[in-house]
Amino acid sequence: MKEKVILIIPAYNEEKNILKTYKSIINYNKKSKCNYDIIVINDGSTDKTEEILVKNKIKHITLIHNLGIGGAVQTGYKYAYENNYDIAVQFDGDGQHDVSYVKDIIKPIIEENYDFTIGSRYIDNKTSSFKSTFARRIGIRIISSFIKLFTKKRVLDTTSGFRACNKNIIREFAFNYPTEYPEPITTTELLKKKYKLKEVAVSMNERENGQSSIKAWKNVYYMINVCLSIIMVAIRRYK
Amino acid sequence: MSLKLRIILLVFSIVLAIITTVVLRKGRIPIKYSLLWYFSALVVFLVAIFPFIIEFIADMLGFTTLSNLIVAMIIVILLFLTMSLTIITSGQKKKITLLIQEVSILKEKINKKQ
Repeated sequence: MKEKVILIIPAYNEEKNILKTYKSIINYNKKSKCNYDIIVINDGSTDKTEEILVKNKIKHITLIHNLGIGGAVQTGYKYAYENNYDIAVQFDGDGQHDVSYVKDIIKPIIEENYDFTIGSRYIDNKTSSFKSTFARRIGIRIISSFIKLFTKKRVLDTTSGFRACNKNIIREFAFNYPTEYPEPITTTELLKKKYKLKEVAVSMNERENGQSSIKAWKNVYYMINVCLSIIMVAIRRYK
Repeated sequence: MSLKLRIILLVFSIVLAIITTVVLRKGRIPIKYSLLWYFSALVVFLVAIFPFIIEFIADMLGFTTLSNLIVAMIIVILLFLTMSLTIITSGQKKKITLLIQEVSILKEKINKKQ
C-alpha cells in the first residue's frame, strides 16, 4: 500500500485508555505489515495523559488549552495536511474503535474513489453487537432523517467518530472545521458539496473508561442544536 | 413628560457620556465601540430636552404612557447590543482556537528538534 495513512486520535483525560489504544495499533501494524502513522492530540488533559504519551514516545501534539473535540480533531487534520498524508482516519482514544476495521474504511477511498467514509454500527445487524443506548439510537435516527431531508442521502450512523477521508477533505478540514457537533455537521456539509460518501459496517466496543464527548445527550438541547446546525449548513450556499 | 422623568433622563445621559469618555481615555475600549454608547447618550439627551419627539412617536405607535415606550426602546437597543457582542465573541473564539492550534503544533515541532 503506497498511500500514506494517519490515524488522528483525540484524547482528553484518557490516561486509562490511551496506551492500550496505542499498543493495539502498533501490534496491528506489526502483525499485518501495515504502516499506519499515529498522531495523538492531547486536548489539554489534566490527568496523566501527557506523562504517558511522553514516557512511551507516542507522537503527539499537546494543545496548550482545552479546545473540545472539534478543535482537537482539526489540529490533527492540520498536521495531516502539513505532512502531506493521503488519507486521515479519525480514531477514538478510548478503546471504542477497533484498528482492524481501519483497512475496511479506507478501502473505498483507495479503490472505489470515494471521498470519505464513515464507520457505521447500523449497516447490518451482525457486525457490531454494541449499538448504543435506546435514547441515543433515537437521537441518531432523528439526525439521520434531518440529513436525508436536506441532502437526499441516507446516513445511518450520524455521530460515529470513526471516519476516514481523502486528501481534498483533509485540506478542507484543516482550514474549516466546526467546534461543536462536528460529526453530523461535517457530514451534511460534505454531502452538500457533492463529495462521495460511503458507510462501512464496523464493530464498536462500549467505552471502557472515561466519558463520552457527547454528555448532553440526555437533554433535548443537543438535538435542537444539531438539527438547527444541519438546517443552517443546508441553506448556506456553496459554489 | 413629567419634569422628574426628564431630569432623570438628562442625568442618565450625562453620566453615560462621562463613563464612556473615562473608559475611552483609559484605553479600555476602542473608538469604534464607544460611538454606539455616545449615540445612545445623545438619543436620551435629546429626548430629555425635546420631549415632543418621543411624545409624537408614542402617540404614533399607540403607547399609552411615555415610560413604556422608553423601556421598550431600551430593551430593543440592548438586544442589538448583545447580538453584536455575540458576533464579536464568536469571532474571537475562532481566532483563539486557531492560535491554540498553531502554537501547539509549533511547540511540538520545537520539542522534536531538541
